[in-house]
Amino acid sequence: MRILIDNFTKTFGTTTVIRDMTLDIESGEMLALLGPSGCGKSTTLFAVCGIHRMNGGRLLFGDRDVTTVSSQDRNVGVVFQNYALYPHMNVFENISFPLKIRKESKADIDAKVREMAKLVHIEDLMERKPAQLSGGQQQRVALARALIRKPDVLLLDEPLANLDAKLRLEMRSEIRRIQQETGITAILVTHDQVEAMSMCDRIAIMNKGQIVQLSSPSEMYNEPASAFVAGFMGNPPISFLDGTVEGSSLRLDQSSIVLPLPESSRPASPASRVKLGVRPEYFQPENPDKVEGKISFIEIQGRETLYDVTLENGAVLRSIQSSGPLHKLGDTVRWGVDHSRVLAFDESGARL
Amino acid sequence: MTKNFKTLPVYILLSVLSLPLVIMYAYLVIDTFTVTTPGSLVPGPFTLHNWRFLWEPAKPGQASIWAATLNTFLFAGGTMLIVLMTSATAGYALSRLRMPMRSFMLAGLIMLHAFPTVTLIISVFLILQIIGLYDTLIGVILVRAALDLPLGVWIMKGFYDNVPWEIEMAGVQDGASRFTVWWRLILPQIQPGLAALGIFSFLQAWSEFILPQVLAPGANAQVLSVYMQAVVKSETQMDFTLFKTIGLFYTLPVVVIYLIFNKKLMNIYGGGTKG
Amino acid sequence: MRRSHLLGLGFMTPAILLTLALFIIPVVLTGVFSFTNMSTSTGITGGAYEINPRSIRLMKDAGLREGLIGDLEENLYKIDAAGLAQVEKDFGKKLAEEMKGAYDGQTFKDRRELVRAIKDLKSRPRSSRDLNKAADLFQKSILNVRYDDESAFLNGLGNLGITLQDGEQAELTRFAYTGWVWTTENFSNMAAMPSTYRAAFNTVLYIAFTLTFNIVFGVFLAVATFYLPSAAASTFRTIWFLPRILPHVLYVILWKWFTWDTGFLSQVLEPFGVAPRNWMMDTEINAWVSIVLINGFVGASLGMILFSSAIKAIPSSMLYASEVDGASRLQQVRYIILPQLRWPIMFTSIYQTLSLLTSFDYIYLATDGGPGSSTTVWALYAFKTALNNYGGNLQYGFGAALALVLVGIGILASVLYLRLFDFKSMNAAPRIEQ
Ligand SMILES: Nc1ncnc2c1ncn2[C@@H]1O[C@H](COP(=O)(O)OP(=O)(O)OP(=O)(O)O)[C@@H](O)[C@H]1O
Ligand SMILES: [Mg+2]
Repeated sequence: MRILIDNFTKTFGTTTVIRDMTLDIESGEMLALLGPSGCGKSTTLFAVCGIHRMNGGRLLFGDRDVTTVSSQDRNVGVVFQNYALYPHMNVFENISFPLKIRKESKADIDAKVREMAKLVHIEDLMERKPAQLSGGQQQRVALARALIRKPDVLLLDEPLANLDAKLRLEMRSEIRRIQQETGITAILVTHDQVEAMSMCDRIAIMNKGQIVQLSSPSEMYNEPASAFVAGFMGNPPISFLDGTVEGSSLRLDQSSIVLPLPESSRPASPASRVKLGVRPEYFQPENPDKVEGKISFIEIQGRETLYDVTLENGAVLRSIQSSGPLHKLGDTVRWGVDHSRVLAFDESGARL
Repeated sequence: MTKNFKTLPVYILLSVLSLPLVIMYAYLVIDTFTVTTPGSLVPGPFTLHNWRFLWEPAKPGQASIWAATLNTFLFAGGTMLIVLMTSATAGYALSRLRMPMRSFMLAGLIMLHAFPTVTLIISVFLILQIIGLYDTLIGVILVRAALDLPLGVWIMKGFYDNVPWEIEMAGVQDGASRFTVWWRLILPQIQPGLAALGIFSFLQAWSEFILPQVLAPGANAQVLSVYMQAVVKSETQMDFTLFKTIGLFYTLPVVVIYLIFNKKLMNIYGGGTKG
Repeated sequence: MRRSHLLGLGFMTPAILLTLALFIIPVVLTGVFSFTNMSTSTGITGGAYEINPRSIRLMKDAGLREGLIGDLEENLYKIDAAGLAQVEKDFGKKLAEEMKGAYDGQTFKDRRELVRAIKDLKSRPRSSRDLNKAADLFQKSILNVRYDDESAFLNGLGNLGITLQDGEQAELTRFAYTGWVWTTENFSNMAAMPSTYRAAFNTVLYIAFTLTFNIVFGVFLAVATFYLPSAAASTFRTIWFLPRILPHVLYVILWKWFTWDTGFLSQVLEPFGVAPRNWMMDTEINAWVSIVLINGFVGASLGMILFSSAIKAIPSSMLYASEVDGASRLQQVRYIILPQLRWPIMFTSIYQTLSLLTSFDYIYLATDGGPGSSTTVWALYAFKTALNNYGGNLQYGFGAALALVLVGIGILASVLYLRLFDFKSMNAAPRIEQ
């Protein structure tokens, strides 16, 4: 089912948290809402499921305007960060609760719960109370409870935040599998960009109550619309160099280093201030446009090694290299920037 | 914890200070089951003679102890039920529901919580006289419940506040009405609070003296505290053994309830200090 | 109105009704009653008009005209239709008709005069007993006759031929009115009576001593039991908690047994040559010590519980660290534990001040405010004035005025108490916006 959030505005008291936000989610799509803490992700989610009222704008499920429809009548399934399982009910009762509320027959309930339990792989846990389940199992139960009544929309608010690293990997693909098998339209709220990229068809990046970019994960990574998005996507993160335009090159502040501007970007007006974004994988020893600096930090990540290189003006460039640690802290190196992959932004942070 | 410090001096000091209470408790039990000789603290032989008020017919002019016991149960039980029902609903509304004048009601609740209630007894007495509930159990039950209410609502609100919002939100998403959410999902979470408040108000009402004495002194509605005070007043000699025996009979239920439920009861304290 | 509004208000309704009926209205009515002279003799509903020995006495005290008072006290004999009908029933038609012919409408000053007049009649009764009986049928007096309203009362006066001079009517009806009236006398009386000041002084004394005892002892118990193994600690806590739940009547009886002349203390001290005496009521000092102990042993347990849980909340690493640093136990208490108790102590103090201000049941049961009125605190004073006085005339109005003072203090203190709470965060809007 297609979801259209149209000109959504949300205020708490006198502060406007979200202003005129528009977001169109296609049927069967899984969309990630990604953004820093406090940017309004949960608020958006609560508006979609009806826990919050919208102060302005419309919400459409398909062609149906549900702006003023109560939560109970919206048919939205939600998985909360802490799962919100009902502690006094066992797994079976938890999953069957939405059906009981709908007064379905016992036989129907039984059949549907079994089927759902099979889908999320918890057939053997039906008699347990939530307190007797591991985090991953609780997560599956919560998912089953949200899906049991065939909701039009599935909302997931940081569903993986409370899991340990290994489980998180496992549940990532599990949730994606279940979403694809059921074909349900889903919104995933997260502030982990890896999660967003690996699970979702599209990503909407939010900042301060606005959607700053909406695109597929790879486009989001390669063609960020702003410095904010570029900084948000990628781990280890992108590094930025500030400078002033000189012809078709950029002179870094307080230094003699001059780097060519990427050809793909719009020409910058002469003498204007520009910010260059260099991802660690594009700052490598073999690249042509050499920059000299001192290694100020080394992090060995096993398969890869991460270096921080401090330039003469104090700016830091990050490099990730797959070879073992060949350099020591304090070594002076001359590595190159792949200027065709460098991202240029103007003073306001917009992509050039 | 802290094994590093000697505990003996603490034991000695605490024991000495606790001595009066321990002596009182000890002789409360000893005296009622033994023949007491005036002027002697040494217990005499075992006897049940002191307990004869339980099976002998009541003296003329006195209510029967069994009637008073029944009244006390009705009084304490009725108070408990009313306090539980009103606090469970009002506490939920104040904790979780949007409604007009919510903050006004919250402020009123806190103020009433601290408000010294006994000062109202004079006008309550007159009100009960005017509306015809004077000298009835129902009247004194309502008054006792009303006086317990601010604390009760406050405590229950505290328990509701501690139930995660997400449970409530999940219930709403699952299609349940707010009432169903409260009844099927939230109430089960706050059972410790209900138990604590129930025990608390039962004990409180069971021991209550002034209210029934003033508002329901007549023989029909007499509770054990009023009964006991009437016996104390009617005896020309202070027959402490008789008083203690009646008192032990009177207090037995609360001590038993306390010993069984004291962990649960303690949930009540601490509710008041959250600020 | 949204659905949750309805549910919310519905959920609040029982509590609101109960609080309104037995909390808010009583507060208001305490104020109202305090401006009346309600008492047992005036009743609490409306009154009637009646001249009775008490009002006669009051009129004499107030210096009303002697002649008028005399008239009111007088028994008059007036020949009227009602009396004649009664005569016809008791003594026959003849006498009745004869009397009607001879004396109808006449008034006789006393029975002798009327009897003499009847004797003049032909069909008069024979025995003097019957004569008196017949005469009595015409007896008229305003004394002890209740009239429901003022005009009936004045009518009655007129019927008896009692004449009023200018301005006497208002005064007379005021004295004859038996119901309650509005007045501010309660407050002027309160200000004038020495017992008021004594009660105020006693209240301050009572709160100061009991509160100090409660807090100091509560802290002591909490700290002491904290250092004991848990079994011993919970035993001591139970010992100290029991007074809180023991029926008040029994708890005070136990203290009386402990302190009275036939009780424990006297018996233990007798072999040492101390004469048995009532340690509770012997002197004012004794009574005060008893009151403070009786209340304090109950009050300390609240502090004990609240402070204990506050101490438990101290991270144990902090305590271990201080021990490693070589702190003595007293230093640990002084520098680690007590600072943690500041807020609970403040809370408990305010809360208990308020409840001590108005609690009187232990005092009532133990010393009954005595000896004399040396332990009569304000609340007990109000209670005794309005609801429990041996004179028999319960002064509801005056008692309400006394209570109103406490209600006023209570309201002020409750506002202060509200300030202690972080009201803003408590008042945060509920998160489900339905
Ligand atoms: N009930 C409320 N009253 C007032 N302000 C609120 C309320 N709920 C949220 N906010 C504010 O709205 C903004 C967005 O909050 P929201 O919970 O949507 O953030 P989020 O993106 O989910 O952050 P996080 O990743 O930390 O969960 C925040 O600045 C928050 O302080
Ligand atoms: Mg959030």
